[in-house]
Amino acid sequence: MSDSLQFKQDLLGAIPSLRAFGVSLTQNSDKADDLVQETLVKAWDKQSSFQPGTNLKAWLFTILRNEFYSQMRKRGREVQDSDGAMTARLAIHPSQHGSLDLEDFRAALEKLPEDQREAIILIGASGFSYEEAAEICNCAVGTIKSRVSRARTRLQDILKVSGEADYGPDAIAAHVMGSGAGV
Amino acid sequence: MSDEENTEQHEAARQGGHLDPLGTNTEIGRKLKQFYDGIVSDDVPDRFMDLLSKLEAADSGRKKD
Repeated sequence: MSDSLQFKQDLLGAIPSLRAFGVSLTQNSDKADDLVQETLVKAWDKQSSFQPGTNLKAWLFTILRNEFYSQMRKRGREVQDSDGAMTARLAIHPSQHGSLDLEDFRAALEKLPEDQREAIILIGASGFSYEEAAEICNCAVGTIKSRVSRARTRLQDILKVSGEADYGPDAIAAHVMGSGAGV
Repeated sequence: MSDEENTEQHEAARQGGHLDPLGTNTEIGRKLKQFYDGIVSDDVPDRFMDLLSKLEAADSGRKKD
């Protein structure tokens, strides 16, 4: 397989995670897809600067993130929409089942500042190490750690859940069964 | 070192050296993955496949010149 064909395959494989990261940043799937498109074009152009064998996903996430912040600077703060329509549509309703609803979660995630949101997504969902996330965000590892920690605390506050990890898996089982919601 | 980092390290030690304060045994950790994986598992729109094919075609066109 030619290098360029391999590169194309690798880019294709990365699209689902790029979209998820894009939605996490923009909170809008159209904007996210535009961001992914820009990322793919830039990645293709910069192909020769990618070192085969290094982490392609981290490299692509870095491009997407840079693109997001440069668009945001261009548009002013329009992208950030913490009190806007999206938030209203995703307003938090008291859960009827006592279990945390995914829409509640999205709305809570939206309330986080970008730096905390991207940190908690990179670490908690995209599967990057703290070191990789620090590289993607161009900051110190300690900064990522503190952002993740603040994001987690903030989400727990907004959603009024406790950090059950402290009590281990049994507490979760009890919680799930006690809530009667099933998951 | 902050208290927060200390706590994380205790947790890490307890979880066999794996630093995982957002693990699947936390409500936040689970929702985070559910939110993200939901998007990851969406079908990739055709526009991206088309785009990559165009980029590739443009490249091979250039090389022939």
